[in-house]
Amino acid sequence: MTTDRRPLLLMTPALLWLTALMVIPCALILVLAFFRRGIYGGIEYTWTLENLALVFDPLYFRIFLKSAGIAGLSAAIACVLGYAAAYAIAAMPRRRQPTLLFFAVLPFWSNYLVRTYAWIVLLNREGLIVNIARWLGYNGELPSMLYTEQTVIVGLVYNYLPFVILACYAPLSRMNPEVTEASRDLGASAWTTFRRITLPMTVPGIATGFVFVFVLSIGNFVTPALLGGGQFQMIGNLVYAQFLTANDWPFGAALSMVLILVMLGLLMAQAVVAERASNGKGQSDG
Amino acid sequence: MTQAFLSIRNVEKYFSAVKAVDDVSLDIRENEFFALLGASGSGKTTLLRMLAGFESLSGGDILIEGSSIANMQPNQRPVNLMFQSYALFPHMTVAQNIAYGLEMEKLPKAEITERVNAILDVIQLSHLAKRKPDQLSGGQRQRVALARALVKRPKVLLLDEPLGALDKKLRSEMQLELKRLQHEFGITFIMVTHDQEEALVMADRIAIMRDGALLQVGSPKDIYELPGSRYAADFIGVMNFLKVKRTDNGFAAPDGTAIATAHVSDGVGEGDAIAAVRPERLFLGDAGDNHFDGTVSDIAYHGLDLLLHVETELSDTPVVARMTADVADNHRPEIGQRITLGWLARDTHIFPA
Amino acid sequence: MADRNTFRLMLLILGLVFAFLYIPISVLVGLSFNEGGLPTAWTGFSVKWYGSLLEDADILKAAGNTLIVAVSSTILATILGTLLAVGVEIRRRNGKWLETIIFAPMIIPDIVLAIALLSMFSLLNIKMGLHTITVSHVVFNLAFVCAVVRARLKSFDWSIVEASADLGASTMITLYRVVIPVLMPAIVAGGLLAFTLSVDEFIIAFFTAGAGRSSITLPMQIFAMIRFGVTPEINALATIVISVSVVALALSQRLNKGGLPGQ
Repeated sequence: MTTDRRPLLLMTPALLWLTALMVIPCALILVLAFFRRGIYGGIEYTWTLENLALVFDPLYFRIFLKSAGIAGLSAAIACVLGYAAAYAIAAMPRRRQPTLLFFAVLPFWSNYLVRTYAWIVLLNREGLIVNIARWLGYNGELPSMLYTEQTVIVGLVYNYLPFVILACYAPLSRMNPEVTEASRDLGASAWTTFRRITLPMTVPGIATGFVFVFVLSIGNFVTPALLGGGQFQMIGNLVYAQFLTANDWPFGAALSMVLILVMLGLLMAQAVVAERASNGKGQSDG
Repeated sequence: MTQAFLSIRNVEKYFSAVKAVDDVSLDIRENEFFALLGASGSGKTTLLRMLAGFESLSGGDILIEGSSIANMQPNQRPVNLMFQSYALFPHMTVAQNIAYGLEMEKLPKAEITERVNAILDVIQLSHLAKRKPDQLSGGQRQRVALARALVKRPKVLLLDEPLGALDKKLRSEMQLELKRLQHEFGITFIMVTHDQEEALVMADRIAIMRDGALLQVGSPKDIYELPGSRYAADFIGVMNFLKVKRTDNGFAAPDGTAIATAHVSDGVGEGDAIAAVRPERLFLGDAGDNHFDGTVSDIAYHGLDLLLHVETELSDTPVVARMTADVADNHRPEIGQRITLGWLARDTHIFPA
Repeated sequence: MADRNTFRLMLLILGLVFAFLYIPISVLVGLSFNEGGLPTAWTGFSVKWYGSLLEDADILKAAGNTLIVAVSSTILATILGTLLAVGVEIRRRNGKWLETIIFAPMIIPDIVLAIALLSMFSLLNIKMGLHTITVSHVVFNLAFVCAVVRARLKSFDWSIVEASADLGASTMITLYRVVIPVLMPAIVAGGLLAFTLSVDEFIIAFFTAGAGRSSITLPMQIFAMIRFGVTPEINALATIVISVSVVALALSQRLNKGGLPGQ
């Protein structure tokens, strides 16, 4: 089979496509980050590290840190909720689990904009929540619910929660029920069993969920743009602005490059966690 | 001391409307190796899980040394279970797996280390203490699971199909190993198995379960030689069943020849009945209390002995007769040959048809 | 017993999570049928907001564009993705880099891919429009089709391919008469998935659409409308978009019992 070239022939069109429209453009970004910005926008083809340095300029680095903070908090909240939901689904009768999982993940496949917009409908000044509060007799000034950092976090958690449920459910459903029973049998309480057996065995799912939510949140630009209001800036918005309004492509490319590096770093960390948890080979005493 | 060590009293278990365990009462002695034997769906595993605390009781009670454990959580019971899948913790080493139960008792670190090392010695796995379960062979995993349960010195060790996952050769080695450990630790073992040979070899006493109820309880010898029912007779070892009829003064074969017997089980009424005899109790010739003629249809060589398959009018399937090689050498029967087989009244059991 | 309480707690958690997931969408769908259009009061069931969508030329144009992009990128992605999946699974031993390239389109942040494509198209002086959106959508769509088809190929009995060859069929005939028909449910499922992804995709379309309104897609139109404010028309449009995704996904799921891809 190894000398057969026909499978490669089948793969060629798709691989060419991915090379031309993913590998090369991404490589281009990496190159672009090291060029100088032209005086009237555009690109001047001289090498520089200025763009990368600018990323670490306090003005922009603060946005980076804030984005990371929001992404981290969103990922953490999504992981807690998602793990609880996945655990609950795994505790239901086996034959019901596929249906529950399907409905938990279904919103994930509907339009991202629409899901974000739904929160505007709920939270805006004439929105449902305000109306409910009025109806309950509350006439005072309500705190602003839209266009805050918290709203952005709610939006991110809402949008990515289904993925965390999916990621956490996989290892939970694969667990042999006899393993937790063994822990109980050996004298551990339900809580100790969860902490020492179930949780460590399912950490890869949580890590996958966390990395995914973090990566998609830190580069997100729709949610901050819609739920954070116009002035709210995250890295995604900053990148967007460099390409579509400020016309500083090299700086935008540099921001993207850092974003890609953060993402790659996290994915590698997650792979390490998964490797460790999958019965850590290489730790044997030989 | 007349009080039983472990007493199962009128225990019942319903899964919605299905009765999984039906009014089971059993007394198990201290240091006994007890086997619950039954086909799948007989309720033996449910009963075992009730002893471990993973299934609640629908009725009845379970007592250890006179006090009830029926309402205790699994982690509070002085009982440990060796799981069928072994259920080793994949993220912990062998030593960590074994130490886990002792940590739950909040024992001092030094004592835990000492006891873990001691039991690793006993199961001869000290050199693998730092391995993870997936780096062990099936037999090694089985011993770790056993050590993990035994190290807690439970009052009762429950074993769910302990040898089921091992290949045949390893299984017979482990049968003896388990018996040795049971003697060495002096702990009561209760084993669930569907393998009658395993139960006969290992257990001091066997309970046969069927449809959630106990069918018969006794020593392996009792159960083998005095089966209480046709099901028990069939389930344990090989048994020939012959069609007989009740007559005024005993039993007779369809052709009218009288069948002498020493064991008539309850429930044998008028008309048809079944006579049972073990293959090794049949011999060539008409010297016994009973005998019949038949045609040899097959001869199977089994090393030390031969199995003859004999077609007769007494049963639909051929009767199996087992003879040692030297007997066979003297009268080497051939396929198609007409022979007479005899047996004794004391080896004949009559069951309802 | 404690078990029963645990079970109740699990039901409570599920109830809360599902409420969190479904209440916002349900409110939106509900409001789209409210005659008054406002959350203040229910003034009666009406489909008039759906009717007013039909009179909005911008929306109709955007919907048409979306359909063009979605259908053509789905067809391309289904062909390329299926061939890729078959090739990869026949080869079995694929290098790590190859697996990464096939997997990357599913996890790469869309903003990164969007600006990368925008940069390339601009530098190459390619005029952007529906065609650039389409070829860009094929990138992630083909990866999803490939994932779905590969999942099916994992349980594929390759001996039927050998049987076909043994009976005298050439490789191409075997592919056409044996492999493709067996894979058909997975291919259609992958195609439906690609279709919904393309219909819903916003960021890459936004960056690769080029200037002007001629190649605006539905999500771009929705984005512009949302920034303008909440209106009953958006509720109606959003409801339609959700329904399309749900129907396509439910069909995909039914065809392909292997479950949702994405992990």
